[in-house]
This record gives sequence, structure tokens and C-alpha cells, in this order.
Amino acid sequence: MSHSHKLVIKRSSMSRPPPPPPTTNKDQQHQNPSLQEINIKLIQSGEKERLKELLRERLLECGWIDEMKALCRAFTRKKGRNNVTVDDLVHVISPKGRASVPNSVKAELLQRIRAFLASTAD
Amino acid sequence: MSSKINGHVSPQPCPHLLVFRSRNGPKPFRALQDCIRVKPPGGRAAIRREPTEVPRCGTCEESSRSRLYACVACAAVFCHAPLLHSHASDHSLSIPGHEIAVDVDRAELFCCACGDQVYDRDFDAAVVLAQTVNATATTSTSGSTAMQCSVAGSQPENLRKRRRVDYRPWEPDSGEHISRGNQSIPLLDAANASLVSSTQQPWGLRGLNNLGNTCFMNSILQALLHTPPLRNYFLGDRHNRYYCQQKNGAINGTKNSRLCLACDMDALFSAVFSGDRTPYSPAKFLYSWWQHAANLASYEQQDAHEFFISMLEGIHEKVEKDKRKSQSPGSGDCCIAHRVFSGILRSDVMCMVCGFTSTTYDPCVDISLDLEPNQGGSGKSSSAKSLNSFNVEADCMRPNQNCGISTLKGCLERFTRAEKLGSDQKLFCQKCQVRQESLKQMSIRKLPLVSCFHVKRFEHSSIRKMSRKVDRYLQFPFSLDMAPYLSSSILRSRFGNRIFPFDGDEQDASNDLSTEFELFAVVTHSGRLDAGHYVTYLRLSNQWYKCEDAWITQVNESIVRAAQGYMMFYVQKVLYYKESENQGTS
Repeated sequence: MSHSHKLVIKRSSMSRPPPPPPTTNKDQQHQNPSLQEINIKLIQSGEKERLKELLRERLLECGWIDEMKALCRAFTRKKGRNNVTVDDLVHVISPKGRASVPNSVKAELLQRIRAFLASTAD
Repeated sequence: MSSKINGHVSPQPCPHLLVFRSRNGPKPFRALQDCIRVKPPGGRAAIRREPTEVPRCGTCEESSRSRLYACVACAAVFCHAPLLHSHASDHSLSIPGHEIAVDVDRAELFCCACGDQVYDRDFDAAVVLAQTVNATATTSTSGSTAMQCSVAGSQPENLRKRRRVDYRPWEPDSGEHISRGNQSIPLLDAANASLVSSTQQPWGLRGLNNLGNTCFMNSILQALLHTPPLRNYFLGDRHNRYYCQQKNGAINGTKNSRLCLACDMDALFSAVFSGDRTPYSPAKFLYSWWQHAANLASYEQQDAHEFFISMLEGIHEKVEKDKRKSQSPGSGDCCIAHRVFSGILRSDVMCMVCGFTSTTYDPCVDISLDLEPNQGGSGKSSSAKSLNSFNVEADCMRPNQNCGISTLKGCLERFTRAEKLGSDQKLFCQKCQVRQESLKQMSIRKLPLVSCFHVKRFEHSSIRKMSRKVDRYLQFPFSLDMAPYLSSSILRSRFGNRIFPFDGDEQDASNDLSTEFELFAVVTHSGRLDAGHYVTYLRLSNQWYKCEDAWITQVNESIVRAAQGYMMFYVQKVLYYKESENQGTS
């Protein structure tokens, strides 16, 4: 497909492999996978998407989403609809949002991630 | 360019978006559309160069950041966390013309210079298209046709612009002067001025005698007598029974007055609001209704909900047809019953194989809701249930949310949830030309003036030839916002923050009305299926009254909250009058 379009595909930024995590010995590298490696595994297997859907559902059920919406609305009302950006809203609700995720939700997701890693351990 | 779509203002493009558009032709996001990935069919849209791509920031290599943006100009991906570091902003600052990016996980356009979301109609339409049609659709022409059929296709034929009329205070004309003199009773005069004092019961509270297992009828009648738009219609003499009988008696030429449930309702309103507090026997009404619903004519206990539906149908049938007006119930122009209770439901059925969605609109006078099959909130998996069972109080966000109790809102959420139809309920897909497994989602296209919710407490199984009653308690709010269950909200949650091409730019008058409702009547059922009793609670002047056949008593609102709701009646908040407490001299 040829487009007379200026979209230039920069493959280099897409497929460069991650730099190896800094380790001192081989055992450490094997036993404690880095956050990057875990993340890649989760994404490639599709588990991350499933976890995200689960998280969305749990946060909806416990009212977290409604509470964040209310915070956004209050902030927007105060600042005026035309003076608010997405970045502003993210900045405003992130601290409260992170702090108010119920422990049960965190525990459930953590359990799922651990189970996943255990099941896919080499 | 800030036209109103479905009541929402289309956002103005930022200067960077304008510049970008001017430099990149009429469809600047066309190439990006090929990178829209949706999985599974109908799920969320993401932007990926290849389906298996793992997006990573070009500067810091991080793939675990929560916001990753792909520059639309050069396709480079960067992270964006304005407080820590935003490599996306760095990129946009370093190369002019590279300010517009797209969120790779949400498929939403973003201006890195403004730090805000921007919108492009064509791009958003393409995302919606991708989410409704299989990602493997080859040509854009076939795709856009399917789009038109599925999303913008079936317009409800009965939504018209409502004419606005200037307000003029009412004055009776000569004919009305005469009829007022003949058949009206003064509601208040000097002698009865004390009736208006706050210690007296409000107008229109009158017990109804039980004529033999007729509490099913009495309970519904009490609710209807205090349905604000219905009450106003009849008390405002909009259906004069004398005039109606006279006119139709002359046509029929029979001695017996022609059957008209609206006339009987008019008589009932007159009797109940006359000021006479002695219990009234609605015998004429019962007799008329028997003639209408012959199959239910007996002294056996009937289902109140069935009576409600049959009554509305009766009013619709017997009211004189005005040829000029639309006869379809959805518009509410046909009769007062539909004008008050009729809303429009939207049903989206999506084929799970190809993603093709067909949309239908149906009028409805109420919404029947299922109670949850098993105890507990909406915990689907067993692991969720066990986690909910300990330390529930500390973890629930809302102080009054008990994860174990069924609520009306929970029922409505389930009603509007996308539901996978079983393999035994395959529906015909127009695209596949064969029956396929489908995903169905209901939503409310148009809200009625009065929303009636019917809780399905009676389960009749024709297979096992038995019926049973579900006694489980259902919590219902006194104020209810229906916004989350509207089609616009449901679709918004399906597709994310988009400009919507659906429904065109139609200005539906109902969009101007608020979505907030107030509870004014609750019909409750107690007892067993075969030996039960209906009681109605009415909310007048913010006081609750229990109407049990001939007996009316004032009760505390806690009694109402604890009652077993069978039918709940909510009226649009703007139509609900909260009278002031002190009216007379006090």
C-alpha cells in the first residue's frame, strides 16, 4: 500500500530489544525477573489485557470509577470547562486514585500475577 | 465548528491540530486507521503497528508506563508522564509539526503541546467502525456501508421536533364556564379553608374498598392517582367523561355508555380528589376493566403488574383516535397513557463472529428487571466472592454500599450490560447470512415522563408447571439518575471518548430534559404467590403514606425503604413538586 503520506515508519523505535537488566550473577537474573521482563511476558501472552479488564470491572464495582469521575467533575467545575486538560485531570486525581484502590482489589490482582508467573516459569 | 450532536458540543480543534490538518491533506489520520487493532471483536481499540507489537518508549525503552503515545507524524512511540518526564512532550518540542500523537492503548488523539485530548471526526468514526466490524474487513467502502447500516441505520420513526408553545395563563372559555358550573365541586371555600393547613392529609388521599381480592387493582390505582402528569391531565379536565360519553353515545346510539377506561379514570379522579375522605368503591372501574380484559375477569387475585399493563392498553384502545397524530406508542402522541409512561428501548445485537451489529428500537411502558440469581453483589468468579466476604466494610468505597444487597441500580446495570446469548439462542446475522452466537445489549433511547420498574418476583415455569415467588429484598433509591443507562452513555462506554456519528444531529426534545427522577409510589407485595397482599406507599409533600385498601396512614420513610418493592414509580424531577410545609395560617 503506498500512500503519498508523510507517515514514515521508524522501525528502530519499535523492535529494539530491551537492554539487559543489570545483574551481578546469573542466578539472580534467573530468579528475579525484572519489571520489564514481567511486563513483556504479560503483554505477549495477552494476560495484561485480561488483568486490565478485571481491574476495570473491580474498580467499577466498588465505586472507585464513580469517585474519580466526581473528582474530575468538581475540578472542572472549579476551573471552568475550557480551562481543563487531560493532563490536569490526571495530575489531580492520580494521588487520591492510587491511594484509594481497595486492598482486596490489589490482593486479587497480585495473586493473579503471581499465579501467572508461576505457571509460565521456565 | 461546534455543532451540537445529541446535545453534546463538538470540541474545537486546538491550533496544533489545525496546522497538522492543513499540512497533511483532507484525511491526515488515514494511515493510522490501518493500525487500529480490536480484540476480541467488539472489545477495546488499540494502536499497534503489528498485532503482536509491544509498544516501548523510544527514549527510555520503558514499556510499562501507563500512557504511551505514538507520534502521528513519524510513528515513534514515547511515554508521557508530565510530572516525572514526558518524552512525548520532548519529542513534540524538538520537531515542529510532531505535536499530534495517539494514545496506543486507548486509540484517542492527543496534542502533546496542549497536554489535552483532541478529536477528529473521521478518525473517531474509523475507530467506531473497527470496533463494530471485524478487523479483517478489507476495503473501506464495504466497511463504511456496514457502519451506516449498523450504527446510524435504524432511526426511530417517531422522534419529531416538539413544537414549542408560548406560555399563556389559562382562562376558561364559555363552554368550560358552563361545565364548571354544572359538574364541579368547590375544593375549597371559606368554610373549608382549614383543610389547607399542614396538619391535614394532602389532597387526593382516599382509601379504596376491597371488592373481593382487588387489592391488586387498588394498589395500582393509588399509584396512578398520584402520578403527577396523569393526575394533572385528569384534574385539568383534559378528558371530560360527560363530553366523551355524550359524543360517543350519540354515535353508537346505545343507551349504555360506550366503554372508555379513560372516562372511568376521570370519574375516579373526581371522586378521590373531591375532598370526601370516606373510602371509595371503584366498582364501575372494575366492571369496565373486566369488560376490557375478559380473560382476567374474576374475583381471583391478579398480578398488579398485569393489571397495570392491561389498563394502559385499555386507555390507549378506547381513547378517540386523532388522525393527525402519530399512532405509534413511542412518540406518546397517541394517548395519555403512552404520553406519560412510554419510553423507547434500544437493543444492539452484535454477531460474535463478524462483529456486525443490528440495532432496533422498541417502545416500552415499563422496564421489567430480574433479581440476581444468587445472593451477593455482582461477583462473578468464586475468587471474587471469597475476597468480598472478609473485610467488606473497609474495602467498599461507598459507605452505604453493602456488597451483599441487591439494589435497583444493580438491576439496571445488569439490564444494560452486554449479555452473551447462549448457543441455543443464536440469532441470524445479516452479514454472515447464518445464525451465529450473539452479544446483546439494551439501553434506553428515550426516557418516559414516568419510569415504572417492575421487579420480576413471580417466576412461572410452564415446564415444571409451578410458580414461585422471590422474596429477596431489593434496595431502591428515592432519587435516581438514569443517565448511565441511556443509549448515549452505554455507547460511550463501549467506544470511549469519541465524537459520535450515530443519531445524526437530531435535536430530540427529550435530550433537554434532565435524567433525574424522583420516587413517588411503591407497590409492594407481601405473602405467598397464592395468598398475597398488595400495599402502595405514596410520597406526597415528602411525607410517606401507606395505602392499604380502605386504610391510609402516614408512615416513616424507613418503613418504605424496608418494604419489599414489586413496582417502583419514578417521575422526572422537574415534574415532581415538593410542596412547602406550611400552607395555611399557622
